[in-house]
Amino acid sequence: MSMHSDLFHQRFEARFSDGRTARSREVTVELNERGIAILHQPDEPLIWPYGALATAEPLTDHAIDALVTYSYQPGATLFVQGPRFARALAKLAPQLTASAERWRSASPWLWGAAATIALGCIVWLAELSPARTIAALLPDKARAAMGRQAVASMSEGRAFCDDTTGTKALGKLTQRLATATQIDRPFKVVVIDWGLVNAFATPGENVVLTRGLLEAAEGPDEIAGVLAHEMGHGIELHPETGLVRAMGLAAATELLMGGSGGALGNIGIVLLQLSYSREAEGQADDHAISILRAARVSSRGFAQFFERMSKRDGTPGGSLGKGGLGGMLSSHPETGERLAKVHAAGGYDATPALTKADWTALQGICASTSPDDRQSGPAADKPQ
Amino acid sequence: MDTQTTGPTSSPPAPGIRLDLSWLPPIGMIGLSVANFVYRLLTLGIYDFWARTEVRKRLWSAIRLDGEPLVYTGTGKELFLGFLIVFGVVLLPILFVSVAVVLIFSPNSPAVTVLNVLIYLAIIFLFGLGMYRAQRYRLLRTSWRGIRGSLEGRSLPYATTYFLTMLLIPVTLGWIIPWRTTKLQAMITNDARFGSEPFAFRGTSGPLYAPFALLWFGVIALSFLASLISVVAGSLAAHLMGEENLGSAARAQVLYLGLIAGFGLAYLLYLFMSAWYRARTINHFADCTYIDNARFNGRLTGAGLLWIDLTNLAILAAGTLIVIALAAVIGVLFVTIAGTIAPESTLTTEEFTAYAATIAAPLLVFIAVLSFTLLLPVTQARSMGYLINNLSLDGTLDVDKIRQSSADPMATGEGLAQAFDVDAF
Repeated sequence: MSMHSDLFHQRFEARFSDGRTARSREVTVELNERGIAILHQPDEPLIWPYGALATAEPLTDHAIDALVTYSYQPGATLFVQGPRFARALAKLAPQLTASAERWRSASPWLWGAAATIALGCIVWLAELSPARTIAALLPDKARAAMGRQAVASMSEGRAFCDDTTGTKALGKLTQRLATATQIDRPFKVVVIDWGLVNAFATPGENVVLTRGLLEAAEGPDEIAGVLAHEMGHGIELHPETGLVRAMGLAAATELLMGGSGGALGNIGIVLLQLSYSREAEGQADDHAISILRAARVSSRGFAQFFERMSKRDGTPGGSLGKGGLGGMLSSHPETGERLAKVHAAGGYDATPALTKADWTALQGICASTSPDDRQSGPAADKPQ
Repeated sequence: MDTQTTGPTSSPPAPGIRLDLSWLPPIGMIGLSVANFVYRLLTLGIYDFWARTEVRKRLWSAIRLDGEPLVYTGTGKELFLGFLIVFGVVLLPILFVSVAVVLIFSPNSPAVTVLNVLIYLAIIFLFGLGMYRAQRYRLLRTSWRGIRGSLEGRSLPYATTYFLTMLLIPVTLGWIIPWRTTKLQAMITNDARFGSEPFAFRGTSGPLYAPFALLWFGVIALSFLASLISVVAGSLAAHLMGEENLGSAARAQVLYLGLIAGFGLAYLLYLFMSAWYRARTINHFADCTYIDNARFNGRLTGAGLLWIDLTNLAILAAGTLIVIALAAVIGVLFVTIAGTIAPESTLTTEEFTAYAATIAAPLLVFIAVLSFTLLLPVTQARSMGYLINNLSLDGTLDVDKIRQSSADPMATGEGLAQAFDVDAF
């Protein structure tokens, strides 16, 4: 305070009210080392320390007077006219200036806003998806329950294809690819009796293939490619992430609580409507190529199948609709891009994904299920 | 003015003193406007409550009674908490119920219509409730020489009166308005206290009916005249346009322009009439307001009010334009820079620019919304200055006998009123 000693012991005329009645009286005040000294004659001087003062309006450079209150004497006011007192007070009690008061009330919110924006930037820059994080936090049991729900609601009104030799062949293919994923998760693959050419990854390492897909494939390598691609989605938790994003926390909470009611009733529909980002498709492709390579299955079939499908539909995506394969085609890494990746993977010794006998068995997996329902073809290649 | 009549002189004690009501124009309101705008922007809008508080402190301080300022003792925290409470207790439930009804019934079901009407009615009621509570909060947070104001009544009767008379406005073709505003003003005034001293409203709505009749018939006559002129001029113009003559087409254009000018003039005339009625109302209310041996006196004029209103509108518009122009420049710069420093990725420059633009666009909207309030403090000071400059307090007040208010100062602010944006200051 010594730097302001030139301000001390100046006297000012002022009006003082004790706050008990609306009367005011003339007093003289003096600024000193301790605070404002209020001198009114017969009484002892009152000292109002600088730290416990408040002013009617924050002190600015324009101030032409100041009305001061003191927190330990509520109601009492001291009104001093003239800019001289206001400027001296602003130096001795800098917390009363407008800039100090603004900063005091705004700074918590400024930090809050800065933190919010920073968090947003981190999420954006680090490509942290909150939905993805939640999906990753889901316990395996919950993801498995989600998957069961999804498969059940997708296959509603349709039968599972369960020809014994076909199922055995599918098991061999699944085993061969799953071993190559190098992750310790049991993949479960089912075929449903549906004319649509499609495949879906569902939560909990489940993959759903359609009869239409088996019919459209020209060899076991093509099915292996599609299956590896869907496994890639599963490894990256894309179905879980998509569902969390689409259905919100309600679904996740319900799952954690062990329920399986309302919010999840239409989980399959939601999954059918999901379409993955181009980036997600690219990730699934990368997985597919490395899985196929590790399993010693040629990745040519994988590329050929997608190329043929996009040609057949005229446009990439075309009539395949959303979800699963269709979704992949509609948010295509161009077929060319995929081919380039396959080529980049280089050549390696490969054996057919399934023996001829097993491939025939797999193609007949729906034989015992739907002898009458043979309405495959482009017309049936659309959901709903 | 020397008012020190209560000194240690031996003359017989005066019954009171004359208190001079004056306005000391606040300096630096533009600087305050800019500071508040920047803080609002940087805190994502939350600073608003503190911004309004600082403006009020300045405005209250500019009102001088016997040379000493009124003091606004409210805080931004109180306004913020009041808003939070109203948000949780009123706005969220309304939102919840309306969403629930749409989900339970179909969006087109009569239940939704019924609920919408109910919500609308509830909002009118809450509006009245909010106005009373806002007035109470502001009086409790206003003091002069340390003596607080207060509003010692309940908000329910006021809200009920507000609600019922509002429903009667269309039924009475508006003729209840002078009675209604007087009744509501009287309710507030009679509940108001300065310390221990009550305010009193002595008067009726009678004197307002002549000006109101003039306004009412004036509006009818104006709209009749406007439609008559438009029909006549319109058919005349159509007739002129019909002739295969360039000169008459030009004359038709002139006629249309004249028509627009005529409508503009009619609207201005309407604005003037309503401002004139408003001035008469404020003057009447001032004349009816008593405290101790003093009575307020209002000298507002329609022309004065209209001038303040129109110039204030121009000031607000100017502020908005300045901010939007600045924001647009900054936005374009941001998008351009984002486009040039786009990292090597799968995105092309165009895609990245579009991406940056989608981020910048909502930001620009946010700034534009805030910008309308940029110069609000300036206009508020002008409005309040005009009011105080044209009000005086005639008669005397016995300041020695006015003691501190015993009213319990409420903890939180005027959220309800703010939720519906009732308040002018």
